[in-house]
Amino acid sequence: MKEKKKHTVLVEGPITAAFIADSIQKHSSKTNIGAHDIFLGQVRNDLISGKTVVAIEYSAYSEMAEEKFHAIREAAFAKYNLVCMHIYHSTGMVKAGEICLFVFVSTKHRKDAFDACREITEQIKALAPVWGKEIFEDETYTWKELNNGN
Amino acid sequence: MEINLLVFGQLSDITKCSEMKIAHVNDTQQLIIKLTTQFPELALSKYSVAVNRKVVFENTMLTDKDTVALLPPFSGG
Repeated sequence: MKEKKKHTVLVEGPITAAFIADSIQKHSSKTNIGAHDIFLGQVRNDLISGKTVVAIEYSAYSEMAEEKFHAIREAAFAKYNLVCMHIYHSTGMVKAGEICLFVFVSTKHRKDAFDACREITEQIKALAPVWGKEIFEDETYTWKELNNGN
Repeated sequence: MEINLLVFGQLSDITKCSEMKIAHVNDTQQLIIKLTTQFPELALSKYSVAVNRKVVFENTMLTDKDTVALLPPFSGG
């Protein structure tokens, strides 16, 4: 897998632990890497007005989102000393407890990995045209609102 | 002259559809006025406007086949 090729960030459904494990395994041949940092976003069973969130259905303005993800990626490579990075974001239904965002940053040393992973994650939240519809157990829903740190 | 309108997130609950063709609008301001007349609840909603996938902050001229998107606050991740 060529690391700098433009891939599709948006993937249908949850991101599985097996996929994440496989992504890590693929980096064993890149022996110039000394640090990986990973951020995983997981769907939380928030209680909203007495009703429990059982899933989030993600929708995106796909063409614009992929452009934003690409710009975030280019800016990260320009700012940090990265060996490679990968972003995957779910679309469609992701149940509570499942993974909806996978940010994977690989560098020579840990500081760049920590700093880049945090910044990339924050930028995804702020800039990517993606929306989460929080589905309750009775199949009603509300549109997710982002707060700092959420 | 006809533009393609995309509506996302909670705004699509107001418009009841996520894609429509709109004729006879010359700029984004005219478009918003037209939409707000048709869907008054839009006036109460927070959103930004993208023309051909770029968010615009001022009134922007539209040309035939442009794609305009109404983007409520993002909530990905």
